[in-house]
Amino acid sequence: MKIAVKLNGRNREWEAAPGATLLSVLRDGPQEPRMTSVKRGCETGDCGACTVLLDGQPVNSCVVAAARAHGHAVTTIEGLLGDPLMTMLQAALVEHAAVQCGYCSPGMLVSLYHLLRECRAAGTTPDDHAIREALTGNLCRCTGYVKPVAAAAAVAAALAAMRSTEAGAR
Amino acid sequence: MTDFVNNRAGGPQVGRNVAKIDAFKLARGEPVYTDDVHPAGMLWAKVLGSPHAHARILDVDAARALALPGVVDVAWHRQVKPILHTRAGQSHPEPSPYDTVIMPDKARHIGDRVAVVVAESLAIAEQALGLIDVKYEVLPALTDMDEALARTDVLVHEVADPRGIAEGGRSNVAARIDKQVGDVSAALKTCDHVVERTYWLPRVQASHIEPHVAIAWLDEDGRLVVRTSTQVPFHLRRILARILELKEADVRVIKPRVGGGFGDKQEMVMEDLVALMALRTKRPVRLEFTRVEELTSARCRHPQRIVMTTGVMNDGTIIANRMNVTADTGAYGSHALTVQGNTGQKVLPMYPCANIHFQVTCLYTNNPISGAFRGYGAPQGCFALESHIDEVAKVLGMDRLELRRKNHIRLGDTDPLSAKLGEGREGLSRVIRSTGLETAIELGCEAIGWTKKRPPSAPHLKRGLGMALAMQGSGIAGVDWGAATVKLNEDGSVNLLVGATDIGQGSDTVLAQMCAQELGISYEKVRVLSSDTDLTPFDVGAYASSTTYVSGGAVVKATQQMRDQLAAVFAEKWACAAGEVVFGDDNVSCGPGKAMTMAELASHALYAAKMQPAATASHMSNESPPPFAAQFADVEVDSGTGEVFLRRFVSAVDCGTPIHPDLVEGQIEGAVSQAIGYALFEEVIVDGAGKVKNPNFLDYKIASALDMPEMVTILVPTVEPSGPYGVKAAGEVPIDGPAPAIVNAICDAVGVRLCRIPATPERVWRQIKEAGE
Amino acid sequence: MWELKEYRIAGSVGEAVAMMRRGPGKGVYIAGGTDLFLFPPACDYVVDVNHAGMSSIARTPDGDLFIGAAATLHDIATSPLVTGFAGGLVSAAAAHCGNRPVRTTATIGGNLCNALPSADLAPALLALDAVCYIADEDSQESLPLEDFFTGPRRTVLDGRLLVGIALSAAAGERRAQARRLTRSAEDIALVQVAVALEIEGDRVGAARIALGSVAPVPMRAMLAEALVEGELIANLDPDRLADAAAIAAAECDPIDDHRASAEYRREMVGVLTRRLLASALAAATDMSPDSGNEGGAA
Ligand SMILES: Cc1cc2nc3c(=O)[nH]c(=O)nc-3n(C[C@H](O)[C@H](O)[C@H](O)COP(=O)(O)OP(=O)(O)OC[C@H]3O[C@@H](n4cnc5c(N)ncnc54)[C@H](O)[C@@H]3O)c2cc1C
Ligand code: FES
Ligand code: FES
Repeated sequence: MKIAVKLNGRNREWEAAPGATLLSVLRDGPQEPRMTSVKRGCETGDCGACTVLLDGQPVNSCVVAAARAHGHAVTTIEGLLGDPLMTMLQAALVEHAAVQCGYCSPGMLVSLYHLLRECRAAGTTPDDHAIREALTGNLCRCTGYVKPVAAAAAVAAALAAMRSTEAGAR
Repeated sequence: MTDFVNNRAGGPQVGRNVAKIDAFKLARGEPVYTDDVHPAGMLWAKVLGSPHAHARILDVDAARALALPGVVDVAWHRQVKPILHTRAGQSHPEPSPYDTVIMPDKARHIGDRVAVVVAESLAIAEQALGLIDVKYEVLPALTDMDEALARTDVLVHEVADPRGIAEGGRSNVAARIDKQVGDVSAALKTCDHVVERTYWLPRVQASHIEPHVAIAWLDEDGRLVVRTSTQVPFHLRRILARILELKEADVRVIKPRVGGGFGDKQEMVMEDLVALMALRTKRPVRLEFTRVEELTSARCRHPQRIVMTTGVMNDGTIIANRMNVTADTGAYGSHALTVQGNTGQKVLPMYPCANIHFQVTCLYTNNPISGAFRGYGAPQGCFALESHIDEVAKVLGMDRLELRRKNHIRLGDTDPLSAKLGEGREGLSRVIRSTGLETAIELGCEAIGWTKKRPPSAPHLKRGLGMALAMQGSGIAGVDWGAATVKLNEDGSVNLLVGATDIGQGSDTVLAQMCAQELGISYEKVRVLSSDTDLTPFDVGAYASSTTYVSGGAVVKATQQMRDQLAAVFAEKWACAAGEVVFGDDNVSCGPGKAMTMAELASHALYAAKMQPAATASHMSNESPPPFAAQFADVEVDSGTGEVFLRRFVSAVDCGTPIHPDLVEGQIEGAVSQAIGYALFEEVIVDGAGKVKNPNFLDYKIASALDMPEMVTILVPTVEPSGPYGVKAAGEVPIDGPAPAIVNAICDAVGVRLCRIPATPERVWRQIKEAGE
Repeated sequence: MWELKEYRIAGSVGEAVAMMRRGPGKGVYIAGGTDLFLFPPACDYVVDVNHAGMSSIARTPDGDLFIGAAATLHDIATSPLVTGFAGGLVSAAAAHCGNRPVRTTATIGGNLCNALPSADLAPALLALDAVCYIADEDSQESLPLEDFFTGPRRTVLDGRLLVGIALSAAAGERRAQARRLTRSAEDIALVQVAVALEIEGDRVGAARIALGSVAPVPMRAMLAEALVEGELIANLDPDRLADAAAIAAAECDPIDDHRASAEYRREMVGVLTRRLLASALAAATDMSPDSGNEGGAA
């Protein structure tokens, strides 16, 4: 079937089997370029290596029908490169040595990006628990989550500081 | 033996937290893993796994599958030459039995290889599996270790292992060990107390998030190229060449970025299949395991039953210690001897005494295959020993910390067991030349609040503290070795080619730091290539906690050799003594006025002196200095439901000199998260027919962000004379202690001892209930 | 891969039922797909209900709460209409399903129509007397949720569409508490208990004790409820609550599986029911509970 999506801001038309998952269409081709930041780890919606944004909300693309994306927007890391918040998050992950094998990192970054963008819009700062809640769909077998959570907390704190400077300026 | 001159620890490049060199590209999601790049014309492979735990494969009819449009080839045992080998990635001659062929004529576990299909798409390959008709002769399945030991009428392997390691054809024993120092039986008679308990360890799986995946193709010269997610590229090359009857020069193994390995990729899980099919079809072939296949057909930690018998005097002196291990290696004997060897060797030396007895019976069954998994046998042994020490303390009425302090191994102590137990043969004895264990215990106690246990946070909860000590090794003494090649470019940058495999732990970064340190340049100038068997020199691979200690030694040596070459070139140009040339801050100098940047010197070497500054060096250590850990758990237990809430976990780890402290902490934190799963909820559950009941992450739970307690990680630096910059290992030791520490804390909270993990709510509840009756 | 011939997207309830009945072959509804992709059934086509106007969460002027079958678990977990209803019993249940990205697409309809004994929303909804609204090409029906489940993975639907569920304003006033037991933080529940008590002055009005993962279908422990319902709060001493809990444990019908034994599940129904009744009553009378409730309405 034909699926019309907005992938990373661009209108695309996919040819996909009706039973295909969003993950398989994004990652396996035949459409080029393959979105290789979207990883396959479990195909049961548990590990989050395949996390992407569907209309701005995080989903595990292995348990979402490709057809579900018809008429909707799909965003992967590839489409967020250069976004200031994403850049901050990537830098924080690197700085905190939160990337070990890195296989979970794109998925984690999508989840954290979504959390921090929502918090920024709401003018709130997520605490440790909120960060962990946001990462419930992202399993990491390497880091024990200590450094990824610290990295996210550092970005959250930086955003809060930016907010208060802005408020002070006003 | 050559010690390193370790006065440079903490220099400008080592001992600091630089950005991990591959972190940016990984965080950007760049296509750097095996499956991220597909060669043109690639075929997709799928394995038809056996539905029976034990069955002869009488016939395979692939006609219907081959008739399906898009199916290119199907292979099964009649078409593949059966050359016995082991899939374990170990140094030659491997201490694992040769009990495996590429395509077996008998399935030995559910999921064992029956046929392999390649097709134009994954969907077609999957569909084709259903069109292959197989005739099986179903055989009785052995899924219980004791039954496997008792029976000789049903044999998992009917052919004798050609090298005599396993008892195929005679019994189901895959490996035996019986080593003794002193005389335990006699000594036990002289002890004030003899404490004996039995402990049970579950089957768990490494669960790296990137599954096993490999792509093979033939290059323009017809050579076989395998790009694969592996820890052991050089072992793979050797095994592939032998079983496919190719020259080693015609096999190239490339390891790109790897999404975690933890031992499960110290094994040829699938590379022979993609290689075979690429050779048959002359097209690129890709195979990736699903999570179900990971949990049924990759490798697990060996399940074990351990009987501990300890003789002590009233004052707490341990006189004799016996560890008797029965282990389940599953369908094949990968790592059967050596993992079980480690269970005693890496664990019993913690409490040196004159009488130590270590026995192993490791059995073949028709269960999923066991193999290497971080810790390599030590987590099982450590659980038994450290649980047991608490039990001994209870019998003695002695403080459990006191008992440990009185008996634990100290600086200058010899570990006699290591001499008796090498990598499957006589090993080397080991003397402790560096230890931070006392400090680790002290700092750990303080961080957990050992003497001031906090009150429970709710009336229905009970609080408890527990601890465990652990030690491991740094590589396999006298066996593990690695080489490094270092090459200077004309702008002063450096190519460092290492066989050592970065699988996420960050060894590329640490090795770059070491190289930069020796050359007096910044680590950003070092480009690391790991690993490609065509380009990088040999290394045994990433296992046994060897990379920093062993491969690091090779990098230091190679860089020093190249530095000597540069010193000579510099000395000639400036007419000074080579011995007086100083390297540092990207400069080279020899007294006032005689200075060049590294780039100038490099350019001079290449264009004026006309020589390529480069060196290759190998390094092996006859020692395997143990890193030490003292780990502490603070738990609350709901005695009504049996739930355990892990509140805080402290690891104090002596890893020698940390080259990159954040990466060392990361190793510890990751290991602890895996061990928390081992302690509390991870278990691959296999039923009596050999079927895995929970082969997915919905039901095989690994720790999520919400399962983690407050984590305190303390590095206790020491300087190990045999390691470059004083390093030891850190990757494995922290996975040993958490399970016993947590279970000891549960016991402290509710007074019941869990001799079997994981300590699920039901197990804890049942234990409490039985204690109350 | 899931062999499907067609993926149909319905724009309204009417269109959804028509697409389902049109054939040819066998069709199933798909909402989030988070269950279907795990266990793909053999069928020819699916009918996507995400755009059929069934995703709303609304309160009527009388205070009744209506949740469309295609409302996502994330929306339910975070909607103020639900978090403010019966102490947030339903929103908390939704918040504990799966993980954050799964809840973006998983729906309440899928959770109920899936009809797993462990469906996380079921006990909370049973405790609040939820009513299901069902539609087909030329029929409509509403029935209590208790009558909806007919067995593991079986419901009364038989190809019909679940449009939504409704909860009465009165149910929204109940004192409610729930708890699910798991092996790790994100896990299929081993045992679920939800308790909801209507407080009428010094007396308990309606009392509901709903259980999950301990019988072929999510269920109410009606005999235990009877011991509490209509009773003076003063009479509901620890012994009485223990009796009710013991009866609830006797009423359930758990099985042994690899996650837990039937014995443990039954015992836990008792332990949790007693604790939850106590804390619900304590909350009603503003007394502190005699035993805590780790994890709140979890
Ligand atoms: C990682 C993961 C974790 C999970 N954890 C939990 C958990 O903790 N607790 C829990 O309860 N569940 C859990 N689930 C299961 C599942 O996500 C939930 O049950 C979810 O609510 C299903 O909703 P859905 O919209 O995705 O259903 P779908 O997959 O779209 O549908 C499920 C079933 O319901 C039918 N259906 C859907 N909508 C309708 C309708 N309106 N009318 C008629 N039939 C309909 C479908 O035909 C199908 O048979 C988990 C799933 C995953 C992937
Ligand atoms: S691959 Fe999608 S969640 Fe694991
Ligand atoms: S860094 Fe390896 S899985 Fe997270």
